[in-house]
Amino acid sequence: MQELKILYLYPDILELYGDYGNIQVLQYRMEKRGIKCIIDKYSIGDEQPNFLEYDIVFAGGGADNEQSILAEDLVKYKENIKEAVQNGVFFLLICGAYQLFGKYYKGVEGNIIEGLDIFPYYTEAITDRKKRCIGNIVLEVELESNKKTKVIGFENHGGQTYNSLSPFGKVLYGNGNKFGDDKEGFFLGNVIATYLHGPLLSKNPELSDYIIKYCLDRKYNQNTELKQLEDTFEQQCRTQLLEKFLKKA
Amino acid sequence: MNYIYMIILKFINILLKLAGKQGGNVLGKIAKKLNPNFLKFFKIDCPVIAVTATNGKTSTNNCIAYTLEMAGYKVISNKQGNNMETGIISTLLKNSTITGKIKADYITFEVDESYVPKIFKIFRLDTLVVLNFFRDQLDRNGEVETLILKINEFLKTYTGNLVLNNDDPNVARLGQANPQNKNIYYYSVDKYQYATKTMTDAGEGKFCPFCKTRLEYEYYQYSHIGKFKCPKCDYGNNEIYKKAENVDLKNKTFEIEGIKYNINENSIYTIYNYVAVQSIMSIYNIETEIVLKAFSQFALNNGRLEKIQIKGIPTTINLAKNPTGANVSLRLLKEDEEEKELLFVLNDNIADGFDVSWIWDINFDKLSENKVTRIITAGTRYYDIAIRIKTSGFDPNKIIPCPDLEKAVKELYKTTTKKYVIANYTALQPIRKELLKYK
Repeated sequence: MQELKILYLYPDILELYGDYGNIQVLQYRMEKRGIKCIIDKYSIGDEQPNFLEYDIVFAGGGADNEQSILAEDLVKYKENIKEAVQNGVFFLLICGAYQLFGKYYKGVEGNIIEGLDIFPYYTEAITDRKKRCIGNIVLEVELESNKKTKVIGFENHGGQTYNSLSPFGKVLYGNGNKFGDDKEGFFLGNVIATYLHGPLLSKNPELSDYIIKYCLDRKYNQNTELKQLEDTFEQQCRTQLLEKFLKKA
Repeated sequence: MNYIYMIILKFINILLKLAGKQGGNVLGKIAKKLNPNFLKFFKIDCPVIAVTATNGKTSTNNCIAYTLEMAGYKVISNKQGNNMETGIISTLLKNSTITGKIKADYITFEVDESYVPKIFKIFRLDTLVVLNFFRDQLDRNGEVETLILKINEFLKTYTGNLVLNNDDPNVARLGQANPQNKNIYYYSVDKYQYATKTMTDAGEGKFCPFCKTRLEYEYYQYSHIGKFKCPKCDYGNNEIYKKAENVDLKNKTFEIEGIKYNINENSIYTIYNYVAVQSIMSIYNIETEIVLKAFSQFALNNGRLEKIQIKGIPTTINLAKNPTGANVSLRLLKEDEEEKELLFVLNDNIADGFDVSWIWDINFDKLSENKVTRIITAGTRYYDIAIRIKTSGFDPNKIIPCPDLEKAVKELYKTTTKKYVIANYTALQPIRKELLKYK
């Protein structure tokens, strides 16, 4: 039986916007195909994990004031994480976690929270606390060359992210990395860092399967043919929402 | 000048009435345009009680008014739930003389969390009740911590009665906002039958608000409500004013100081609301006999744990506008040992928040094990909720997405199994109307 191991970072802190749903979706889609899904959780005070032992590392978004406590903890694993990224471990980083993997996060009062500095982007909070990029968002992403797909989610962030050299997608509706941006997130073959909640994978089965296939190919050194799943709800949801949002755009 | 405004507003009120409109906020909106400080104009010489919380404001406020009325007092209250400044001004306008005088024995309000400081900076307040704080429509309200800090700031100079839920670490902390205030009353509910050792649903308040240490819980009643304490600074260890004990949901009873109260609901979260009301009645020396009678008769019947028979089939309707609201509703359904079907209506209108991610914080686990045989989903995001339920492991063949409310109700009553209906904010009244039409 094939199996994939997920490391779920700070489940008790980065859990504000239902991001855990991403793991539930991955687990669901793996188990429906007879792939065993192992989920290990790590939070402050737990034994140090070895990031290299995992197929997928996941972290979500949290409350602003808890983010700094967490940044101090995460930075201890910087080298290990860097190695895992280079080794091809898949990283799915949402919102706060997206920001933490960059150079730094500059808060409203000008305070700097050092990031892991693994990716080249950095984030600065907009000084007006009331201004946030909030709303439904639709992206066009190219997961594999010449294969474009639309990704639907919800963004809610005050931080404006700059210098994302390889964005996750083109914004068709919504804001993106900054107010009125045409780019969103950060993407390497094995890294998706994005502001999209929703949870992201719940409305984007193609994206979920991209991650699963990537991990199976890497782990078992093969070209996996994933079994098609019954996705009627997901496809109808996409049709409904794309029509609703893109009509407005 | 205000007198002239008053005459105009009274006149508009008559027109609204003739047009058959409630005018829940309209009058207040006009009044605020005429004079932004209109609230100051009213003359009040009776106690003012206010209830705020994420969940349970309307039920609790109505129960307070109901009990005081049963005691023979004239009560003015925003019973319909118009809980922002404009709604409160409207309620006062309808009940005041041209000179702004309010003739009442008590005024009780439910107040939106974010409006507490705004309103009571200028309006009289004698007793404030805070029931709970949960995550709620994050895209509209922002993080719950921001709201708490705003109320905490207001309470720093407040010296009136403060009635607080001691089992919610987000609420009990407000008792320390003003060390000079001696009128703090903490209430609590003793461990109930389905309390758990670990948190089973999404919750807040994991860390001590004073020293940031992780809080320790003896048990959780629901969400993050339970017996907690900070191991480092002892936060949470307060003297309890009123405590509900021997909670018996099956027989719908609980005890306070050895006296058994009968109620019409069977959910743990409503027990908390009743203890809050009982605390207030005790503060105002309302006779226990009257409170007992009021509690045994009180039923809100507007889609908050409302029980109706539709074509002879028992149906429970409950509002759920955030994860905790939905989780307590589902808990009720899971605690029910009979077979049942669920209708979940999810909207994403402005008043609901556009972000429906919160449905992933709802605990849909073990629905089929708990004898849920079929689920119908409706509302503007009917597919989102269908996907959510499917991913929790519930058989997708038993989920029927149905965008149209009328059709959804028809579908629901194809079988004679007991029904539960859960709807979020803007979905509640429309589905309730459809259900009653089908009756």
